[in-house]
Amino acid sequence: MKSSLPLFSTILASTVHDMKNSLGMMLEALEAILEETPKAKSRKEYGVVQYESSRVNSTLMQLLATYKIENEQMPFNPSYHNLYDFIEEQILMHSPLLNAKGFTYSIDVDETVDAIFDESLLSMVVSNIIGNAVRYAHSEIAIIADTSKNVNISICDNGPGYPGPMLEMAGDYLQGVNQSTGSTGLGLFFAQQVAELHQHDNMKGSVKLSNGGLLGGGVFQIILP
Amino acid sequence: MVSSMGCRDVRLVYNGEDAIQACKEKKYDIILSDYNLGDSKDGQQILEELNRFNLIKSNCVFIMITAENTTAMVMGAIEFQPDNYLTKPFNNNILKSRLDKAIIKKEIIAPIVRLIKKKQWQEAISLCEQVIIESPKFKMACLRHKFECLKALKQFDKALELTTKIVNERPISWAMLGVGEIFYAKNEPQRAAELFNDMTLEFPMVLEGYDWLAKIQHELGQPIEAQKTLLKAVKRSPKALNRQKLLGEIAEENDDIETMANAFRQAVKFGQNSAFATPDEFIKLTKSIGLQLKTNNNSSNEYKKLIEEAESTFAKLDSRFKAQPAIQLRSAVAHADFSSVTKNEKKVEKYLATANKIYDRIEEHIGSAESIEITESLKQLGQTELAECILEDAVEQYFDDPQFIRKAAKLTTNKDLIANSKKANQYNNKAIHFFTIKDFDQAIEFFAKATEYAPNNVNINLNHVQTLLKRAQKSALPLQDLELAEEILMLITRLTPADPRFARYSELSRLTQLMLQNV
Repeated sequence: MKSSLPLFSTILASTVHDMKNSLGMMLEALEAILEETPKAKSRKEYGVVQYESSRVNSTLMQLLATYKIENEQMPFNPSYHNLYDFIEEQILMHSPLLNAKGFTYSIDVDETVDAIFDESLLSMVVSNIIGNAVRYAHSEIAIIADTSKNVNISICDNGPGYPGPMLEMAGDYLQGVNQSTGSTGLGLFFAQQVAELHQHDNMKGSVKLSNGGLLGGGVFQIILP
Repeated sequence: MVSSMGCRDVRLVYNGEDAIQACKEKKYDIILSDYNLGDSKDGQQILEELNRFNLIKSNCVFIMITAENTTAMVMGAIEFQPDNYLTKPFNNNILKSRLDKAIIKKEIIAPIVRLIKKKQWQEAISLCEQVIIESPKFKMACLRHKFECLKALKQFDKALELTTKIVNERPISWAMLGVGEIFYAKNEPQRAAELFNDMTLEFPMVLEGYDWLAKIQHELGQPIEAQKTLLKAVKRSPKALNRQKLLGEIAEENDDIETMANAFRQAVKFGQNSAFATPDEFIKLTKSIGLQLKTNNNSSNEYKKLIEEAESTFAKLDSRFKAQPAIQLRSAVAHADFSSVTKNEKKVEKYLATANKIYDRIEEHIGSAESIEITESLKQLGQTELAECILEDAVEQYFDDPQFIRKAAKLTTNKDLIANSKKANQYNNKAIHFFTIKDFDQAIEFFAKATEYAPNNVNINLNHVQTLLKRAQKSALPLQDLELAEEILMLITRLTPADPRFARYSELSRLTQLMLQNV
C-alpha cells in the first residue's frame, strides 16, 4: 500500500454508493406505505422527510463527484442547453418544499438563449444552492442569468445573507468547514470545482458570494466562460 | 406517477427482455427505463435494440432513469441517446417537465427522422433548414441530422464545413467525431487519426473516438498502437461487445494471448444479454484458452480451470445457437481442435464424429471466414477429406472474394479447385460485362459456362436468372427462358433466410412466378 489516502477515498466512494442505494430504497418504501394512507402526505413531516432526504442525497452525489474530480475520473461533457429550461427545472426539483413553505420565486432568463455547460454537474450546484436558500431565506428566491459576455447565473434570496467570514473566503471554500455552524463547506467547495472545470479561451469559471442583491439577502453567482 | 399525469395504457415490465417484447406487441408513445436493471439487459442495451430492430416510432420519447451522475453514460453512448436522462430521486413536476419538453422536441424532429429512415436525404436537409428557422431552439439537433444526410450523400466538403464551424466555436463531441469521420471518408486517414487522437485527450470519455482511432491505426499497419488505444477504451467502459471483439482480434494479430483471451471473455460475458452476440467470440475465446494451455503446466490448478472455462464456453455456444447447423458444425470442429490441445483423444474423436454427422445433413452454406477456420482446424486434425469437401463448397460460393481465395489456395491440396474457381470467376465477370452493355444473349451464354465450373454458386445462378428474366421481358417467346429460370431457382436449396443473398433470391423467385403467370 502506497499511502492510506487513496484507500480511504476508495472506501469512501463505495460507501457513498451504498448509502445512496439505501436512501433510495427507504424513500421508495416510504412512498409505498403512504400509498395506503394518502392523508399522511399532506403532513408537514412528510415535507421534512422529502427535503432532508434530498439534501442527504445531493450531499452524497457531491461527495462522489468531488472524489472523482480529484482522481480525474470525472467525465466532463459541456454541450448546448437552453438556459431557461435548465433553471426552471432546478426550481421544479424543489417545488414541493417551495409550495409547502409558501415561497415565491422568479426567473429572469432570456428564453431563447442556449449556453454551453455540463448539465449534470451544474444541476448539482444550482439545485444545492436553491435548496440552501429554501432552508435559510424567508420567503423569496430570484434567479437571474446574464449571458451577454459569458454565462453568469445569480441566485438571490431574502434571507440573512452569507456570514461575513464566508464572504472573505473567496476562492478557498475548504476553510468553510465549520462544525459549530453546521456548514460543511462542501456545497461551495464543489461549486468552485465545477466552475473551474469549465474553461474556454484561457478563461476559467468561478464562484462569487455577496450580500444584498435583488432581494436584500444572499447572492450566489457562478460564472462560466 | 405517470397515471396521475393523464397517461393511459401504462404497462409495467421488470426486465429488458420483457420491455423489448412489450415494444414488439405495441408501439408506445413514451418509454421510461431504469438504466440499471440488475442481471438483465441495461437501459442502454434496450434502447439500442429498440432502435436497431426498428421497434419504436420516430416520435417515441425514451427517458433513461439513473441513480447517479449521467455524464459517463451520455458520453459512452453517442450513437443511441435517449431523449433525456432523469436522476433519482425525482418528483412529479420534474418528470412532467422533462416529458413535456421531450414530446415537443420529438414532434418537431420526428418528420426529419422519418425522411432519413426513408433515405430521402435531400428532403431531410431542406426540412432541417426550415426547422432551424422556425424553432431555433432545436438548431443543434437539426445540424446533427443535416450532417448525417450530407455524409450519406457523400457531400463531404459541405459536411466538413458544417462540423468544423461548430468545433471552431466549441469542441462539441459529436461534431468533433464528425470532422474525423469526414477526413477518413475523404481518404485522409493520417489527418483523421490525428484528430481522433486529440479527441481522446480532450474527451477521454467519448469512446467512439478511441474506436475510430484504433480502426485507423490498424489499417495504417500499427496494430500495437491500435491495441493500446482499445485497451484505454475498454478500461473506461468494458461493456461494448464489438469493441472487445476488435480488441481480441488485434491482440491475436499481436500474439498477445492474454489480452486476446480477456477481450473475448468479456465479449462472451456482455453478449449474454445482447441480441448482437455472435458465435465468433465464443470460438475465439476457446481458441485463446487453447493457446494459453500450450504454455501452461498441465498439472497446475490454473490449467484445470482453463479447461473448465473452455468446456463451459462450448456448452453456452451450443445452447445459444441450438437450431443453426452451420454454427454447430463450427463448434464441433473447434471443440475437437481444443481437445487435441489437451491431448484428450476420446473427445477429439467424439467431436469429429459429431462434425461429420452434422456435415452430412447440413443444408445451409457456411460463411467464407468460417469455412477457412473449419478447414484449418480439420487439416490440423488430419481430417483431410472433410476439410477438402468444406473448402470446395466454400470456393464454389466465394470465388469472387480475393482475400478468401488467397487463404483457400494455401489450404487446399486440390490444384484444380483454385484453377476452376478462377475460370468460373472469369466467365462470370465476362457475363456481367455483357449484361451491363445489355447484350443478354452473350451474357446468358457466359453465365451458363460459369455454372459448369461452379454449379452451386448462388451468385452466378442468381445472375443467370436475372439475365434470363431480362431477355424474357423483351422476347416474343419468353416461356423457355422463364422455365429455365424457374428450374435454376428450384435447385438453390441451401440458402437460409439469414444469408445476405436470400433477399435477392426471393425477389427473383417472385418475379419469375409473376412473369410465368402472365405468359
